[in-house]
Amino acid sequence: MRGRSRTAAWAGLVVVVAVAVPQSAWWDMNHTVFAQAVVSGLLIGGVYSLVAMGLSLVFGVLDIINFAHGALMTIAIYASYLLFQNYGLDPYLSLFITIPLMFIIGVGIQRFAINPVMDAPVHNQLLLTLGIAIIIENLALVLFTGTPRSIELAYARNEFDLGVVTLDFPLRLFGAVVSLPKLIAFLVALLLAGALYLLIQRTQLGAAIRASAQEPEGAELVGIDVDRIYMITFGVGAACVGAAGSLVLPFLFVSPTAGATFTIIAFVVVVLGGMGSIPGALVGGLVIGLTQELTQLFVPGSTKFLGVFVVFLAVLLFRPEGILGRVRR
Amino acid sequence: MKRLTIFLSLLLSLVLVAAACGDDDAGTTTTAAAESPATTAAAAPATTQAPATTQATPTEPPDPILIGSLHPLTGGLAGAGNRMNNGAQMAVDEINAAGGIASLGGAPLELVPADSTGAADVGASEAERLINDGVSAFIGTYQSAVTTLVAAIAERDGVPLVIDVAVADSILDVGLTNVFRIQPNATSMGANGAKFLSELGGGTIKTVAYLHDDTSFGVEVSAAFAAAAGQYGIEVIADIPYAPFSVTDLTTEMAQAAAGGPDVIVLTGYYNDGILAARAATDLEVDVMAIVGIAQGAFHTPQFVEDFGADSELFFNSNYHFNSSDPKVAAVLAKFEAEFDDAMDTEAMLAYQAIYVIADALERAASSDPADVRAALATTNIADHFLAFPGPIAFDETGENVNAEPVLMQVIDGAVQQVFPLPLRETDPVFPGTPWGG
Repeated sequence: MRGRSRTAAWAGLVVVVAVAVPQSAWWDMNHTVFAQAVVSGLLIGGVYSLVAMGLSLVFGVLDIINFAHGALMTIAIYASYLLFQNYGLDPYLSLFITIPLMFIIGVGIQRFAINPVMDAPVHNQLLLTLGIAIIIENLALVLFTGTPRSIELAYARNEFDLGVVTLDFPLRLFGAVVSLPKLIAFLVALLLAGALYLLIQRTQLGAAIRASAQEPEGAELVGIDVDRIYMITFGVGAACVGAAGSLVLPFLFVSPTAGATFTIIAFVVVVLGGMGSIPGALVGGLVIGLTQELTQLFVPGSTKFLGVFVVFLAVLLFRPEGILGRVRR
Repeated sequence: MKRLTIFLSLLLSLVLVAAACGDDDAGTTTTAAAESPATTAAAAPATTQAPATTQATPTEPPDPILIGSLHPLTGGLAGAGNRMNNGAQMAVDEINAAGGIASLGGAPLELVPADSTGAADVGASEAERLINDGVSAFIGTYQSAVTTLVAAIAERDGVPLVIDVAVADSILDVGLTNVFRIQPNATSMGANGAKFLSELGGGTIKTVAYLHDDTSFGVEVSAAFAAAAGQYGIEVIADIPYAPFSVTDLTTEMAQAAAGGPDVIVLTGYYNDGILAARAATDLEVDVMAIVGIAQGAFHTPQFVEDFGADSELFFNSNYHFNSSDPKVAAVLAKFEAEFDDAMDTEAMLAYQAIYVIADALERAASSDPADVRAALATTNIADHFLAFPGPIAFDETGENVNAEPVLMQVIDGAVQQVFPLPLRETDPVFPGTPWGG
């Protein structure tokens, strides 16, 4: 029954797209615009994936809805920005600082703020993470003022001789432009997604994390320090936005609410991809990025996010466990 | 030992609480005292001063006049909002240092900051708080959507609002008597923008693609531009709105704008989205004669030039601007920079100017009663102002500043320079011109 309705939904979607697209505005327009929407969608989707992965991990393992996720990203963006401004440190090198830094901050938050309320009602935990977000954003406002700042990479528009080919950035792909900072963000996000997947699936720590997620009491019984696993998990979740913060700095801007821009989208991606699923977050991020940019071609403006939420609702209706989520009972 | 520590910390917290309460009391008394002369000062100045002389020295200055300052101090627009609040504070400090309001016995001004958070409902409740606090007038609010609601409250309660920044025509269209606007409205922005394009291109600009934010700000300015463009033979061939506060990338939108092969791409929006649009245009190296902002929040700011360096070169913006050819303005800019360690932008200058407009009205009214201040504001005529307007600041019966006009600026040699209109020109424009030499 479930399988048939799913097939019907996908078939319906394909039919709608096949009928609507040739009659739509972009068909008449330059094909470059379409190519650009696809490229931009995939590139920004990679960042959405990375942000959502951390959120998904924290939700899947700790059952905590972390509203402070975007604010943690803001910390990472500021850290990268300050390292660049004061020490001239390349944002991509600052990954080696922001990832451990955010891991430590994440562990600290879990240890001192969230562990004490692990058994509290869910709305208390919600208020706590929301409170942390407000504190971080307003601290940033006090420390750095609200003025948005941005940086320019000196080598963002250069030729790179790779021996076999020479890449001239910004790269042209079917007429669409691929800027170097966005390409790097996308590739590193994929790399980190793979690394995170291996960490969860193939290491002893990952096994302990999965055990703590599935059956905390059982995990405790076989000698896993679940509180410690929770701290590590939240730390890893924060490290994901640590990476995302450094990666977006060269093409976004830094302001106290810069990270929060990603929070809502990240929640959508998490639910879409399947709660707690790393590959799900990856696929979900790319789907949302693509949907958002392609919707822009039909209904621009704030309604750009209409497509995102239509897809979101469709997934909730036809596949409530998410694209790659496991059915929860 | 441990007991002692506990006792000492208890004692300490008690002292702190007491001190805090004491401050609170002092705060309420001054507010209450400030309210009473606001209504009675004109009628009976002698009676209000009598009790003061019994407990203090006769040289004590009169109670301060409260002026509200309502801007987005937190949230995504906090950068601009705080600079504007700082600008207002600087004006208040200057006026107080120069002896306050002479016609009110040298009464000092006191700025009451309020935070709209960028949301209309919060702005409305903060406006009500300011009015309850007893402000004689207030300034704000940076956003059209917030100002529309706040203006209605100012009108209802009869407390004058001087709009420093907020562009939408619809705010004053409805016939408000308590609201005054210093900056040019959307019609002026759009119509002058079209005129500048025509003058800039000398008739070579025939088509534009318009990329704008989809709040009432961008929608009204782009509509005003489209309405005026026809008379200069300019056609808007693409109109692409975007959500200014949730975008993280505008490359697709910019590609859409460029797809029809327009002569010029025109942009209206705020600072963050302006940065994203500039990046997208640079990455795409869009093949147009120029990128021109109309009431764009980024391209005329010192931050844009500082952060983008060479990539900011040759961007145009038609916007309100402080008169950068006036030495008095240069002194204000330098003072702001020294005081707040932040470059002063035109928004902050408009807030600074708005305080001087209110101070001028207070001086002429010789009263801090909101109704008297309103009456005085209506007859404002300030020739000695800080903005690049063709004449004095004076309000018509709808509350619009009759001389509010934008200027066209371009980033040339790492500085924002005025290029049109001719009387305010600092240097010749580079046209056609884009940073990538398109």
